[in-house]
Amino acid sequence: MNPVRAVPYVVKQVVRHRVRSGLTVGGIAIAMFLFTAVQAMNEGVTRVTAASANDTTLVVYREDRYCPATSRLPQDYQRRIESVEGVAGVTPMKIVVSNCRTSLDVVTFRGVPKSDFIAQRGGEIELVAGSLEDWQRRTDAALVGETLASRRGFRPGMTFNAAGITAYVAGVIRSDDPQDHNVAYTALPFVQLAGRDQLGVVTQFNVKVEDSSVLDRVAGDIDRVFANAQDPTATFSEKAFIGRVADDIIELVGFARWLGLGCLAAVLALVANSIVLSVQSRVSEHAVLRALGFSGGQVAGLIIAEGIVLSVVGGGVGGAAAVAVARYGNFAMSVEGISIPISARAGLLASGLVVCGGIGVLAGLVPAWQASRREIAACFRAA
Amino acid sequence: MSVLIECRGLTREYRKGGQVIRPLDGLDLAVPRGDFLALMGPSGSGKTTLLNLIAGIDSPTRGELIVDGADIGTLSRRRLAAWRARHVGYVFQLYNLVPVLTAYENVELPLLLHPLTRRQKHDRVVTALERVGIADRRGHFPSQLSGGQEQRVAIARAIVTDPAVIVADEPTGDLDKASARAVMELLRELNRESGKTVIMVTHDPKTTEYASRTLHLEEGRLAGGSAVGGVMA
Ligand SMILES: Nc1ncnc2c1ncn2[C@@H]1O[C@H](COP(=O)(O)OP(=O)(O)OP(=O)(O)O)[C@@H](O)[C@H]1O
Ligand SMILES: [Mg+2]
Repeated sequence: MNPVRAVPYVVKQVVRHRVRSGLTVGGIAIAMFLFTAVQAMNEGVTRVTAASANDTTLVVYREDRYCPATSRLPQDYQRRIESVEGVAGVTPMKIVVSNCRTSLDVVTFRGVPKSDFIAQRGGEIELVAGSLEDWQRRTDAALVGETLASRRGFRPGMTFNAAGITAYVAGVIRSDDPQDHNVAYTALPFVQLAGRDQLGVVTQFNVKVEDSSVLDRVAGDIDRVFANAQDPTATFSEKAFIGRVADDIIELVGFARWLGLGCLAAVLALVANSIVLSVQSRVSEHAVLRALGFSGGQVAGLIIAEGIVLSVVGGGVGGAAAVAVARYGNFAMSVEGISIPISARAGLLASGLVVCGGIGVLAGLVPAWQASRREIAACFRAA
Repeated sequence: MSVLIECRGLTREYRKGGQVIRPLDGLDLAVPRGDFLALMGPSGSGKTTLLNLIAGIDSPTRGELIVDGADIGTLSRRRLAAWRARHVGYVFQLYNLVPVLTAYENVELPLLLHPLTRRQKHDRVVTALERVGIADRRGHFPSQLSGGQEQRVAIARAIVTDPAVIVADEPTGDLDKASARAVMELLRELNRESGKTVIMVTHDPKTTEYASRTLHLEEGRLAGGSAVGGVMA
């Protein structure tokens, strides 16, 4: 039998057992919504913490400090860091956050010297709205990450207030670096003056090195320069730095992975339950199919196909809902000035569907095998 | 007339906890092509068992069973399934239509196994439904049909693949008198006009009037004994 010919039959079986299929698909959709959400968080963590061969950014922090409120370094470290061999550029940065705890809706101000910022990051950043001249001209101007802008509804020309700072939106920026997505870049003195800090104090230095192969060496050299200073430094690759700051989130997300596995187990249980009950209630129907000339294997195939349809439809609904929520909600888990995106690519949905297909097969395997082995005549006798 | 079905020493045994049940015990029978054979006999005499063997949904323990030239007693399960799809149509006492499929879709079901175009399939289904006089109900689900109408749909499903043999196990057992008569007339037409060989199990002596002959089973053998199946003269 050409399997494609059987598709309408399988679909009718699913669609016309409306209550059974509806309940099963609904349950699967909920479980796959959770699973996809967990996967999206996992992907975000991997994206911002997994080291790769083209990492060239270091973060210089105050030694033994873990948050922007307490990491205070003299701004004039900049020149001494620039003189370390292998350093391509240094951006001093003052960070102020609207919420110190972990949250999905944090506004992070990054005060930077505007000229350094444009020189070092200009090539990686795309202005999607507003004007760069505006940003350079106005002291209270901010370049706002696209994710933050769409989450809070910021448009060029608006002013907004967060963390006690009132800033003017000069432009909206887009970049590949998730750390740019949720921040407002402003002039360094503007942020320094807005906080209690005096001028001349920064939170951290972001250092570009010439080549990723010298990353570790440069980090060690920088820390040695300041080893005996009043404010010693601790330098990390940007990804290691994120891993250190966000270890709570990362641990939670790691734990959530078990939740994701639990969701898959729930999907398996739901599909298996539905298939087992349906096969039990259709013993004579399957016997009729076989009396009409379907082989045991063909009947088994029809049963398994039903499992696949149920789980793929449920997984599609739940997964698509999760991807839509993640995408249009523009969420990022933020803590201490860094943010972990909740990354919802279409590939996530596709992989979820593949997993669902596999689960559908698995769930149908045993009942299908049993149905294919039953003696036809005995089925009619029992009915 | 050529012999379509031939049973020699046909035996079916079941083992249950050391006990051997033998619903068919060395049965000899020959059915010529174009016959309309009614099988009667007390409950438990092996009528359904014989029908199942002829329809290829069960296999004999011993003996020879040749249907339309094929020695179906020796076919593997897979080949037997493929053989069923082409050579027999089964009509059940309780119709056994698939409840979520319409009359049309039920009749179409066996054609899934045949390499036909959409158009050919449609023509066959419509012809079969017209043949049993129920084309106007093709969009109805089994629950929306009377028992007699359901049985007609089941007969349409049995003939849509154009098999040589139709086996029917008490096809009027659940029907009122009028519906039963209509179903029997339909079977007789299929036998006379379409040349189908019909083998029907029945408990109702009235229905045997439609058959060309009636045989009695008793304890797994033909009553009245020896005859090599009482082939019509
Ligand atoms: N799978 C089986 N296992 C054990 N015994 C069986 C099985 N199938 C049939 N039998 C036995 O074989 C005997 C004949 O059964 P069969 O169904 O052929 O009778 P029948 O003539 O069709 O009876 P009825 O008129 O009641 O339908 C019965 O005693 C039945 O219990
Ligand atoms: Mg019987």
